[in-house]
Amino acid sequence: MKLQSQYNRIAVISTLFILLIAAFGYYFLLRYVLINQLDEALKVEEVEIEDYIKKFNKLPEATVYKDQRIAFETTKHLKHRSFKSIQAFHPGENEMESSRQLLFTVEVNGQKYMASVTKSEEATENLVWIILFTTVTLIVLLTIILFFSNRFLVKKLWQPFRNTLSSIKEFDLTAPVNIAMQPTSITEFNELNESISMMSQKVLKDYQSLKDFTDHASHEMQTPLAIINSKLDMLIQEPELSEKSMNQIQGIYNAVDKLTRLSQSLLLLSRIENNQYTDTQLVSINSLLEEKNVEWQEWMPARNLRIAMQLDTLNIKMNRELADILVGNLFRNAVRHSESGNTLFIQTGNNRLTVSNTGKIPLDKSKIFDRFYKSDRSDGSGLGLAIVHQICEQYRFTLSYQFVKGQHQFAIGF
Amino acid sequence: MKLLIIEDEKELTVSIMAYLRQEDYACESAQNYKEALNKIENWDYDCIILDITLPGGSGLQLLQYLQDDKKSDGVIIISAKNSINDRIQGLKLGADDYLIKPFHLSELAARVAAIIRRKKQDGNNVISFQEIKVDTMAKEVSVHDKRVELTRREYQLLLYLISNQNKVITKNALIDHLGSEEMGQGESFDFIYTHIKNLRKKLQQQGCNDYIRSVYGIGYKLTYK
Repeated sequence: MKLQSQYNRIAVISTLFILLIAAFGYYFLLRYVLINQLDEALKVEEVEIEDYIKKFNKLPEATVYKDQRIAFETTKHLKHRSFKSIQAFHPGENEMESSRQLLFTVEVNGQKYMASVTKSEEATENLVWIILFTTVTLIVLLTIILFFSNRFLVKKLWQPFRNTLSSIKEFDLTAPVNIAMQPTSITEFNELNESISMMSQKVLKDYQSLKDFTDHASHEMQTPLAIINSKLDMLIQEPELSEKSMNQIQGIYNAVDKLTRLSQSLLLLSRIENNQYTDTQLVSINSLLEEKNVEWQEWMPARNLRIAMQLDTLNIKMNRELADILVGNLFRNAVRHSESGNTLFIQTGNNRLTVSNTGKIPLDKSKIFDRFYKSDRSDGSGLGLAIVHQICEQYRFTLSYQFVKGQHQFAIGF
Repeated sequence: MKLLIIEDEKELTVSIMAYLRQEDYACESAQNYKEALNKIENWDYDCIILDITLPGGSGLQLLQYLQDDKKSDGVIIISAKNSINDRIQGLKLGADDYLIKPFHLSELAARVAAIIRRKKQDGNNVISFQEIKVDTMAKEVSVHDKRVELTRREYQLLLYLISNQNKVITKNALIDHLGSEEMGQGESFDFIYTHIKNLRKKLQQQGCNDYIRSVYGIGYKLTYK
């Protein structure tokens, strides 16, 4: 959930909650005050009645006037006066209404009377309801305004954060552009931006030096390798070398070859990462496949591999050398891991290249494109597919591996 | 034939010179830019073996000098940089070939021989070894003046062996030369074995002596001794 929705939800719920409680409280308080007022008015009536009795020594007339009714009944006991809320019949309106009644006893000529003064609460109730209605309307309006203003305000407040976030998302190690941060008036965000800028610069620097290191290390390896090779080439010319010595030398040669290929693959990787293959042209993937097919057929007639190609137009705008390496590595990978008599399936079309070879168990999808990852029986450098992966990354091609019906299937979507 | 080896790595220079001297080339060496420039200015060489990164300057500057001075020395660049751009730049500046370190001395010798062959003005493109004659222009091989039909690979192998006669050439060097290092090593060795076998058979069918000797499984040697 977005921060803003989260915030809004909490704000709205808590506001509603508080306002509802307040409304209840308000209602009761208001009612209490108004009824008190009513009671005061009833007391005034009481005083008037008592004054009347003192003055004329008789009961005033029982009256029904507007929403006030005065009545007397004989009684035997003197009682304290008391207030009551009752439902009383209102003749004017012809219905029962909530009313407030004051009961007190008066004595006229030794006769005790229970006097009751009843006032309708209708007016009071109406007032309470009007006030309450106004209040609730205000509350609802306020909440709606709060909701939208929060939405707008919070959005505006967090805009710098969102900017920062999108800059971070766009950040790409391989296409190093310093993260551009817009200065804001909010200290926290400024601090955040500063730390991110610093961090990204450090990451870029480290990444660059790592790349340079690979590049230099591979370069520096070439000359010593050349010396080893040349010394061995001289050494084997000695006529008195035994077969045993020759076997040892063969071992050294093979190791040097392996090291050479390794450092060249690493160099290639770092070059691709450094965007050193810039010139692009329209490359026919199909003609590259045909070329590779001819080469492989020539190199390994003994393997008795069948290569089934189903080619539909596939021309891609990319660097020719990289296209050659891409196709070559996929091809080599498939050939290397095939057994005699197997069939290799190669398919192009719909902007897609698929290379499949027979296999027994699926490979580890998550690691197969990692550098130096090798399946148990692979004698390669473990960089072939990593190079394919790197090239695809560079051009934003999608590279996928699947194991379908006993086939390792590598597919590139261009 | 006079060669100049411009390379700052002394050990490499020593090996290159030793190998090429056995091929009857007169070899001189230069270890830095100044020394190299001095030698290039004062002498003509049939072929210069040139390292790009030199103390005191760049091999490319030397190439520029050769081009400006209209010298006809053949040049083969040996570089640790396997970069297409460097290669193109080098070839643009008049280099004849570009070899990436590390390389086999037999490969270097074969390329030097090819450059010298191309530079020769006498129009004779035929090189021979005993009764074998190779026309490098027409890419044709004959034994006792009878045509031997070879595949492209067999032809490449034969030419390579003749360029390095009396030398042990490793299978690794042959694999590099034929560009089949793509496969696993075992299969590449089989590949070389098959092609040598076919080459031998085809030569012998035309009455050629078998000069290709297998050397302890490490490689082959073309020799009449």
